[in-house]
Amino acid sequence: MPFLRRPTLLLLGLLALSACATRPPASEPEALAEYEQANDPLEPFNRTMYTVHNGLDTVLLRPAAEFYRFFLPQPVRTGVRNALGNLRSPVILINDVLQGETRRSATTLARFLMNSTFGIGGVFDVAKEVGLPGHSEDFGQTLAVWGLDEGPFLFVPLLGPSNPRDLAGFGVDVAADPVGWAIREGDSTAEALGWTRYGLTVVDTREGLIEALDSINETSLDPYATLRSAYRQRRRNDVRNGRPTGEAPAATLGTGLDVTEPAGPAR
Amino acid sequence: MNRRSLLAVALATPTALPLLAASPARAEMDINQAASFIDSTGQELVAALNSNQPIAARRQRVAQILRNAVDVGGVGRFILGRWWRVATPAEQQEYMKLFEETLIRNLSARFGEYQGVRFSLGRAQQRTEDDVLVNTIIERPNTAPFSLDWRVSDVGGRPQVVDVIAEGTSLRLTQRSEYSSVVSRNGGQVSALLDAMRRQIAALAAREGR
Repeated sequence: MPFLRRPTLLLLGLLALSACATRPPASEPEALAEYEQANDPLEPFNRTMYTVHNGLDTVLLRPAAEFYRFFLPQPVRTGVRNALGNLRSPVILINDVLQGETRRSATTLARFLMNSTFGIGGVFDVAKEVGLPGHSEDFGQTLAVWGLDEGPFLFVPLLGPSNPRDLAGFGVDVAADPVGWAIREGDSTAEALGWTRYGLTVVDTREGLIEALDSINETSLDPYATLRSAYRQRRRNDVRNGRPTGEAPAATLGTGLDVTEPAGPAR
Repeated sequence: MNRRSLLAVALATPTALPLLAASPARAEMDINQAASFIDSTGQELVAALNSNQPIAARRQRVAQILRNAVDVGGVGRFILGRWWRVATPAEQQEYMKLFEETLIRNLSARFGEYQGVRFSLGRAQQRTEDDVLVNTIIERPNTAPFSLDWRVSDVGGRPQVVDVIAEGTSLRLTQRSEYSSVVSRNGGQVSALLDAMRRQIAALAAREGR
């Protein structure tokens, strides 16, 4: 992934420049437990990145999302969201398979075939109407299912809360995306379509988060800490595909060969 | 005491005693009881949110429902976590007052957004012996429906909400992280958190008028 190299170097350079959070001594077990719960040894650096992100979000992302919401009516936005989701399904399918999720793989494949045809290129989510709702999956989650630890929390400007595992997973998903290949192999029209797709993905994602992020920024006494905690919990839940695990979520990330899928209707 | 009731007590004692001994340690939460508790509390809350009474009256009603249904004291202490013992008794008392106020104001500042809210009960599942997770689907006009899980525990002999979970994200864990971060970043001063909470309540109250 040559396109990842330079930002990665830049990131490492910035890391070296910034101070790390101090680990509490063993004599303070509660402070230590909290430090480990937060999983954020690079907190000062991350908070700087969060400030950078907030600036970019205020002048760029949020206004773009507001424009998008203002100019396009809800049915059009739903169609765009459906189509983007459909274009993502090959990547979701790859990750379903890599995680050994037979049922979910079948769902994703069936959805892709149905929505691409009857759903007119994915604009209409007909599969959901017949009881096959979609789900998301990414290589960060696949790595987690394979037993890879998330690593320290990272806040990446424009991308949001993350960690080395999910960031690498994001890169792999982009590189492995069959739709992306088709675009790279194609002519200038294909290239333009590719950029349109990326642009719409960003705007659509941010539009979907307007209320949630506004609410965090208004009500949280420390939005950074709230996002950090929420991201980590949410990802754990995503990795387990929403299945409850009692109190020790990490322990369930075994072989990835899933035998606990309930026999009920697909969620 | 007559002979009959004496006999009844004598007969009941051997079975009643182990029950009494067991109850404080293991207050079991019945799954159906938890689900019907969430259903009835939810109906009350929806009725209060959708009523066309003045805002102040609605806020009072919501406050009453929350005080009844939520283990405010337990949740508040959980969220303050290790800083609870650092706080002075006066700070603890003030914190509890502000915590309850925050809970209520967070809802009342959004009365407008909750107009027309409806909910339906999903499935309930036993988490631990004294812990049941009740799922609900919340629907608001012009907004995609979303799922919320309510963690219900037996607190002092009656069901109480001890946590709300959205997509695997526990509200009390997230809020503990937030509050703890505020205290830590202010040199371990609980008073700094109390100041921030007071400012937030004032901001929410100002929003409510709009």
